Amino acid sequence: MQADTITAGQDVAEASRPLAIQVRNLDFYYGKTRALHDISLDFPERSVTGMIGPSGCGKSTLLRVLNRMYDLYPGQKATGEVLYDGQNILAPGVDLNLLRSRIGMVFQKPTPFPMSIYDNIAFGIRLHERVSRSEMDGRVEDALRRVALWGEVKDRLQASATAMSGGQQQRLCIARTIATRPEVILLDEPTSALDPVSTARIEELLDELKTEFTIAIVTHNMQQAARCADQVAFFYLGELVEVDSTARMFTNPRESRTQDYITGRFG
Amino acid sequence: MSPQSLTRPVSGKSRSRAVQRRVMDHLATGMSWCATFIVVFVLGSILWTLIKNGLPGLSLTLFTHSMGAPGAGGGLANAIVGSLLQTGLAILLGAPAGLLTGIYLAEYGADSALARTVRFVSDMLLSAPSILIGLFIYMVLVAPLGHFSGYAGSVALAILAMPIMVRTTEDMLRLVPVAMREAGIALGAPKWRVTLFICVRAARGGIMTGVLLAIARVAGETAPLLFTSLGNSEWSLDMQRPMASLPVAIYQYAGSAYQDWMQQAWTGALLVTMGVLIINIVVRVGIRGGRT
Repeated sequence: MQADTITAGQDVAEASRPLAIQVRNLDFYYGKTRALHDISLDFPERSVTGMIGPSGCGKSTLLRVLNRMYDLYPGQKATGEVLYDGQNILAPGVDLNLLRSRIGMVFQKPTPFPMSIYDNIAFGIRLHERVSRSEMDGRVEDALRRVALWGEVKDRLQASATAMSGGQQQRLCIARTIATRPEVILLDEPTSALDPVSTARIEELLDELKTEFTIAIVTHNMQQAARCADQVAFFYLGELVEVDSTARMFTNPRESRTQDYITGRFG
Repeated sequence: MSPQSLTRPVSGKSRSRAVQRRVMDHLATGMSWCATFIVVFVLGSILWTLIKNGLPGLSLTLFTHSMGAPGAGGGLANAIVGSLLQTGLAILLGAPAGLLTGIYLAEYGADSALARTVRFVSDMLLSAPSILIGLFIYMVLVAPLGHFSGYAGSVALAILAMPIMVRTTEDMLRLVPVAMREAGIALGAPKWRVTLFICVRAARGGIMTGVLLAIARVAGETAPLLFTSLGNSEWSLDMQRPMASLPVAIYQYAGSAYQDWMQQAWTGALLVTMGVLIINIVVRVGIRGGRT
């Protein structure tokens, strides 16, 4: 697997962006309970796909299929296809650690590891690469600069990451994820535990990151989806109701259920 | 019932019920106070007796001289060193097994049949009478080899210390949020790395607490040493031979008819108690520091 095969075609026009991930006829089960029904969804390269819908609609479940996080839990099962880099990642024999290094994830609550700020970022890099001390310093600085955290922490890189504020912790988690140089970043309600100022910073950050990464973001916040996403997918009761460009989705949705949800009539 | 009746009893019936509740409240509070007083009083009087009887015997000789004949002016140096050696070796033996078992139970075994069995057996060991552990080691280590030894004492103490460390390690690892594990996995880290470098790291304060509690627990044990390291009145660092320890020395001296031996038994008991107390205080301070 080469990184180039995935990032090829970066100059193609917006409308016909190559697809980073294609989900085809995906069903998902928690034990016997079916949580996703026949989902088919494309994630265009270097753009932000917002996933919205009421609690329990399956949007987070879908996100956790994309990096096969559900594999941790026996009894959870996905059928169908998720094509990434020309390969069905649901097939047996996929190297999950490699897959997860290429499809990173940021969680709802900031999850800094119990180590220094520096080591939080170095941890992910060390997993997959052998780099010299000076190169590591550079990679850590680069990652922190990209999430606009470098200025705030450059004098205390060896301090514990758990002492940072919630917003800083979440930016650190994003830095940690991009430091391993993934191609896709999955974000599961990344700002729901943050204050408005921190939220705004993360949203700005997404705008910059999408020039380089394919981003899928689950959010409960309709304005956030409208601000950040290029395309929006609306889920309801385990089904993908509708997916369209953000502009169309919020001005002229095809489905009445979408209309009802985004105007706040349920959910 | 209208909302007003909640704050202002209107009928005689509800007023008497309010009085009844107040009486019950005072009664229950009073009983709790009494019970607390009894517990604190018992603990306090033990400590007071110990200090009153033990402190006068505290002298430098205690730490520089080995146990001697009655009236010969011996100390407890060999027992103190014996206790340190046997407890230390017991932790060295028991900690790896205890910590690794705890890690297995929390991270790998989860709810499997094997894990449930191990957890059950470990909890059984936790409450097993310590003299039984001593007898067991006597049967498997002392009798076949033909002699008591400090090693046998250490093994017996290690068996006592192990389940404490298993329990605390498992409990502390379970407190590590699932999100932390998932975050490690999401970076592409294999499970063993997540366990060792993230989960154990996050729980290290609690795990250390378990080790210290285990030390505190076994340092004061007498019964498992009676049939294993036996006790020794002479200075000896050879763990292949019978070895002295503070609890056993206290046991021997306290049961004697000699004034100076009984005095040393009190002072030895004070030393053990202070040691355990210090470990417990270190643990408490450590926990408080670890939380922030």
